[in-house]
Amino acid sequence: MLRTTLAGLVAHRLRLLLTSLAITLGVGFIAGTFVLTDTIEQGFRQLFTADADKVAVAVTPKDEDIPHEVLAKLTALPGVSGAQGLVRGTAPLLDKSGRAAGSTATSGISVEAGPLDRTSYVTGTAPGGPGEAVLDENTARTRQFEVGDTVTVLDLAEKRRQFTLVGLIDVGVDQHLAYTGAVGFDPATAREMTGEKGYHEIDLAASAGVSPETLKQTVAAALGQTYTVKTGEELARKLALDSNVELDYLVLVLLLFGCVAMFVAALVIYNTFNILVAQRTREMALLRCIGATRGQVFRSILLESAVVGLVSSVLGLLVGLGLGALGLAALGRFDAPVPTGASVALTPRTIVLGLVVGLLVTVVAAVLPARGATRVAPIAALRSQVEEQTFRAGLARSLIAGLLLAGGLGLTAVAIWVLDGNTGLLVAMGGGAVFFLGVIVIGPVLMSPLSAFAGWVPRKVFGVPGRLAVDNSRRNPKRAATTTVALTIGVTLMTLISVITASTRETVVSSLDDQFPVDFMITAQYGRADGMPLLPAEVPATLRTLPEVGLVAEMRQDDTGEIASLPDRAVFRPEVLSGSLAALTPGTVALSEPQAENLGAKVGDTVSLTTAKAGKVKVKVAALLGQDGLNGTMPYTIAAPDFEKYFGAVGPVRVYVKVKDGTAADVSRRAVEAALTAYPTAQLVSAADVRGEFDEAFDMMFTIFAALLGLAILISLLGIANTLSLSVHERTRESALLRALGLTRPQLRGMLSIEALVLGLVGALVGVVIGVAFGWAALQTIPNETVFIVPVGQVLLYLVLSALAGVLAAVLPARRAANASIVGSLAAS
Amino acid sequence: MTMTTDVRAAVVARGLSKTYGQGDAAVHALRGIDVSFATGAFTAIMGPSGSGKSTLMHCLAGLDTVSSGHVHIGDADITTLSDKQLTLLRRERIGFVFQAFNLLPTLTAEQNIRLPLEIAGRQADQVLMDRVVETVGLRDRLSHRPSQLSGGQQQRVAVARALISKPQVIFADEPTGNLDSRSGAEVLSFLRRSVRELGQTIVMVTHDPVAASYADRVVFLRDGLLVSEVTQPTPQSVHDMLLKLEA
Repeated sequence: MLRTTLAGLVAHRLRLLLTSLAITLGVGFIAGTFVLTDTIEQGFRQLFTADADKVAVAVTPKDEDIPHEVLAKLTALPGVSGAQGLVRGTAPLLDKSGRAAGSTATSGISVEAGPLDRTSYVTGTAPGGPGEAVLDENTARTRQFEVGDTVTVLDLAEKRRQFTLVGLIDVGVDQHLAYTGAVGFDPATAREMTGEKGYHEIDLAASAGVSPETLKQTVAAALGQTYTVKTGEELARKLALDSNVELDYLVLVLLLFGCVAMFVAALVIYNTFNILVAQRTREMALLRCIGATRGQVFRSILLESAVVGLVSSVLGLLVGLGLGALGLAALGRFDAPVPTGASVALTPRTIVLGLVVGLLVTVVAAVLPARGATRVAPIAALRSQVEEQTFRAGLARSLIAGLLLAGGLGLTAVAIWVLDGNTGLLVAMGGGAVFFLGVIVIGPVLMSPLSAFAGWVPRKVFGVPGRLAVDNSRRNPKRAATTTVALTIGVTLMTLISVITASTRETVVSSLDDQFPVDFMITAQYGRADGMPLLPAEVPATLRTLPEVGLVAEMRQDDTGEIASLPDRAVFRPEVLSGSLAALTPGTVALSEPQAENLGAKVGDTVSLTTAKAGKVKVKVAALLGQDGLNGTMPYTIAAPDFEKYFGAVGPVRVYVKVKDGTAADVSRRAVEAALTAYPTAQLVSAADVRGEFDEAFDMMFTIFAALLGLAILISLLGIANTLSLSVHERTRESALLRALGLTRPQLRGMLSIEALVLGLVGALVGVVIGVAFGWAALQTIPNETVFIVPVGQVLLYLVLSALAGVLAAVLPARRAANASIVGSLAAS
Repeated sequence: MTMTTDVRAAVVARGLSKTYGQGDAAVHALRGIDVSFATGAFTAIMGPSGSGKSTLMHCLAGLDTVSSGHVHIGDADITTLSDKQLTLLRRERIGFVFQAFNLLPTLTAEQNIRLPLEIAGRQADQVLMDRVVETVGLRDRLSHRPSQLSGGQQQRVAVARALISKPQVIFADEPTGNLDSRSGAEVLSFLRRSVRELGQTIVMVTHDPVAASYADRVVFLRDGLLVSEVTQPTPQSVHDMLLKLEA
């Protein structure tokens, strides 16, 4: 029996190739995920281990920085051969146009050559004196600086200081530095530039013969509980652990897509084995005739699937290696903080997991078809004609499908109207999954009417081949349903993502329009001080002198971010729930809705404010305010003269500028930019800038999802190709008859292409409908007001692409059918 | 055997040879056959198994290529045509009835009958359609699918399909091979009636002397050569000739 199975496999190797490919790709994706993350993890570990070797003991603060005296104290400890304090603060780097680079100030760090230096240099060396600096390579690339250039950095007093760039560094996995960018100085200069008095970390080297553990105890005894003391090895472990948290997310997201791909692959395998069994009815019957038991037939099919699963899983591991390397390169391109230069890692865990998943999915998907094979009666060997499979929807199928569909809809309804937030979204998606299962179960019933619908145009346009093709596509609804459902999964998810991104984008854009009734907004660079960064107090006045500028409005806040001055009404348009903003005169306050609720206050009540200059003051509530899109609404809003009285002439957090009527926006912008040269850290953004950034972010997210889903779609196309090639095989004699009756080769090819087109279209239609519906459901669970947009162009494109993809999948099977000899095919049984 | 060049011949083969394989493995299925089939006649091709009778029919009908020689259907030399031209010729001028699997399972009987016309993009002649349907006696079965028809009914649908496009010649390959004797007799008398009443030309391959006796003329093949013929055959005369050939 074993030999029969293996001989059968060899005989059908071409037929099984497409099936194997489906598993290979699925396993490849999952293995690729692990290869990628293992490689990153291994890279981290190498990096941290290398670092740990340099440092015997590291001291980090629990809250405040470590003061300078501690460094002196540690240096004097017995067993310490060297100590280095790491400074970290902000030191805004100016770009080539003289403006501060980025919306958050560049980090200023100390870099000191020596045995304790953990910096990794891309080129050049550590700064050798107060006139030299190093820069992280990403910032250098985006701001176009090279070693040898002069860079300008603002010191604590916002004074421009110039340094010669002597090296580029890789900040590695430090998320903070990767985000802000880093400019490095020698320790004295770093302290001077950042104004930091203490250290972010102190690293110690041990004298010969002193173990890190011993040194750690010495240090801990000397410092007490104020600081965290770790050996180099412990530090490396902690850093690795921190970076793993991010990796875990990556693994989770990628595996989710991997599971989708595997599920699609399972459908393809299930279908293929079903067809293989149907085709080999006579072969099975013959085996039964000559004495094979049901069990033997069952086991032979399972064995066949196991061999296919094993072979393709091994191939999948190889594909995974390639995909892992590709993913690493892609992450590198997006400047993600991943260690570079690590060799691709294929761990035993990946191998075992890949093989087990591939094998298990294949064998499980083949169980039902194998059971079907055992039902073949020995007498079937003697029947000449393969019987057409007729399909009737059984009561059980209708019942199960009904339960699943209703359950899915019910869950989703609960998610929309009862739950909200993340729970709601998760439940809605769970409802979607359950509903989809229902669609899979009821699929064969839907297949016939849907094919008729999707085939309506081809039937009219393509004449006899078109009509025959549409009839053929409805011939075996069960098989057609399984084939198309694989494609439906991909199209559903693509549509879902399209709808959600398009709607979110539209929501953001329309709220941007709302939020940006002005042309420009000026803010201070983040990261320089605690709390909200403030612009110099004179900025609004300076801008008001410009002839190119219309309205200039400012927004002031106290440093708790609770009390705000009432800005110009042109930029502050909150919903007034009760009272009125006109009544907001000195001595009164407007409360935000949640704050009013907290205090239990209403219009006319008196509340007290804690102010910087006037202490506690009592004010009367003049209005209750809802949300304002532009500024949000602070808990307390008071009139501008009051604000100055209570807090003095503090700088604004934001300044809004409108272009003067009749002045071109770019002229106005240049004037504002010129006026701001004196304030290099002031950030000027226009509505267009913000929109552009959002667009870019959305496009990128969409591209990544599309690329990840592409694999599932590719596998489903293999499924269509597989089904068609097997149908072609089944209908050999029918094709020959048609050819004898005068159907030309191109017409026969066309017939199969149209059949594939109809299958593709049906799969896509169902996917688009479910995708749009559940996209809507998902959006309803988001508590904020969201616009619902169906990106019609994109959705139509999916339909067209799916139809075309179907045609593409039919190319090879159709060619084989058309090139078959008529006489030979007629003779075939 | 006489070699007449009948101007009214529907199908003429000259020096027809067909060889499968090469060298030592070469099988000479047809070894130079000259034969013509008169318009409006019902001719049967007979011969022992392996005599080449099916190959001859396939070559005559343009379903298979010839190794040498020529086949004329009407004025067209089909051995010089491209696959596309051949397909169009089959569509326009030839009808087929096979032993089994004659009908498309997805189409109704009526759709199956009309299929060749629709492939050719022609309108069915309604008078002819009615007459053909009447003759085959399938009026109440037209909307049935092949799986709902008996074997005999299926073959009669196949014959109706072959007739509907008024081809120059119908090739029938063992049309009664899968039928019981009563259904077989029905199909055969229907074939003969279509020759008598509609003036149809039919060439039929068979190994059954009774079936062959329905024809106007029977030609006999042995080892790829045309060896004999009988006109106005009876089952007995055909049977005797077969016995003689096998001896």
